[in-house]
Amino acid sequence: MLAVCIKSENLKIRRSYIWLAFLFIPVVPAVMGTQNYLNNLGMLKNEWYSLWTQVTLFYTDFFFAPLVAIYCSYLWRLENQNKNRHLLLTAPVKACDIFLGKLAVIIRITLLTQLWIFALYLIAGKLARLPGFPPPLLFLYIARGCLGGIAVAAVQLLISMQLRSFAAPVAIACIGSITGFLASNSRFAVYYPYSLMVVGMNANKSEDMLSGNGAVFFISCLAYLTLSCTAAILLLKRQDVKA
Amino acid sequence: MNQKNAVIKTKNLTKSYSSAHAVQEVNLAVPEGCIYGFLGPNGAGKSTTMKMLLGLIKPTDGDITVLGTPLVRAGKSAKEKERLSVLKQTGSLIESPSYYGHLTGRENLEILCTLKNVPQSEISEALSIVRMEKQQDKKAAHYSLGMKQRLGLAGALLGHPKLLLLDEPTNGLDPAGIQEMRELVRSLPETCHMTVMVSSHLLSEIDQMADYAGIINKGRLIYQDSLLRLHEYSRRQLCLRTDNNSRAMAVLNENRIDCRLEGGFLTFAETADEKTAYLISALVKEGIGILRVEERQKSLEDIFLELTGKQVSL
Repeated sequence: MLAVCIKSENLKIRRSYIWLAFLFIPVVPAVMGTQNYLNNLGMLKNEWYSLWTQVTLFYTDFFFAPLVAIYCSYLWRLENQNKNRHLLLTAPVKACDIFLGKLAVIIRITLLTQLWIFALYLIAGKLARLPGFPPPLLFLYIARGCLGGIAVAAVQLLISMQLRSFAAPVAIACIGSITGFLASNSRFAVYYPYSLMVVGMNANKSEDMLSGNGAVFFISCLAYLTLSCTAAILLLKRQDVKA
Repeated sequence: MNQKNAVIKTKNLTKSYSSAHAVQEVNLAVPEGCIYGFLGPNGAGKSTTMKMLLGLIKPTDGDITVLGTPLVRAGKSAKEKERLSVLKQTGSLIESPSYYGHLTGRENLEILCTLKNVPQSEISEALSIVRMEKQQDKKAAHYSLGMKQRLGLAGALLGHPKLLLLDEPTNGLDPAGIQEMRELVRSLPETCHMTVMVSSHLLSEIDQMADYAGIINKGRLIYQDSLLRLHEYSRRQLCLRTDNNSRAMAVLNENRIDCRLEGGFLTFAETADEKTAYLISALVKEGIGILRVEERQKSLEDIFLELTGKQVSL
């Protein structure tokens, strides 16, 4: 039944605004990061690495979590409008498939966003006349960023499901982003969901933020993912539906 | 009512919120193949009851059995598997119609087909039943309320459910829309072999659509039987006041005439002319003075008001 739910979620986001957010919002941190890089060429001498630190600085610290929050809020807003929750929750599908179906769609868009920001980074690098291609280590960072991103997506999808507002979960994500940025320099970085993306992508750092901490990072991502899903599914099953 | 063939059965169904009972000890019995009108003033607990039947709201106490499957026992919900097996055979339209505004009517139905695991070929059939073929490629947000309501009904019909729950399906429609929706609902038991439970706060509407009626007021079910029975209450009565009602009763009983004493009046179920003449002459012969002779007829509205004890929109 999960496949059925994923298919129906995909049908729902046809011609939706979610794709506009996907397309345009990552452009902002890419431009800001590149600008910052070009303005500080005196200090930033590591070419592709340096550009990466600047682009990811803006992307992970300020834009990523709110962007995912917008995806999640949009998906639940579809159900909050016109009492569609009645429709969804009287369909003969399991509560867990309903949530996981939505999560699958969010994960797909999150991964596409990661690819898109990487593409923007490549374009920016080429426009900045950087030689050759980025070092392979960055692919590991992107992959780690995906993991952190999935954890944030699960948390945000749960928040959007419960709050029934579009803006409030996005505001939470903004606050999460800023506190995540602050926490990313502390030893709690791998335990705070909004820092996971920052440390995963190794934003604004030349040395690896996760050196020796990889396993904890992985377990932390998995824990936030599982906890959010379990909480959401239990709530969907047990709560009275308010449309 | 034959309890065995009840498609929906509830026992002492109750939903309480912290301070108030929204629904209290309701025992529904909806017979198979009928249109069951669920009638009550606004806020009486109609929607809450129907949402409990669908599992959207969890009851505080009581039992629910739908299509032979027990869904709730003493306030405890059955396993999800059971609920899903019932939902597969149930179509519903709760409160205002649900739709995704940025998608066309047909795309909305495609989503429902996917979720219900029903072939997409059923869409055209459902659209033709609600006469929406021509508007199927318009965005649902641009539909009129009547069209949205019909789209909702088309969605509920997908998968040929055995049971259809419609909560105030004519709410907010114009007279033509009401007429159309009513005819549509009326035709479903025969054309689609469905049992339909339809709620309304309008007695006249239930009167025109339903075979059975349940009347709910302040969370309690105060009447449940066939609509014919309800109509029997509205038969004509002859009412008589005399200067000695108790003696008159004795005289009439001697003459084997059925009557009841109600509020100072002797009332008779029969109003035929010759019977009237006969009973009056019998009383006069005994020297009983006749003070008033009236013919009364209760309308369904009167009965409804008597039952619910409050003024409602009719």
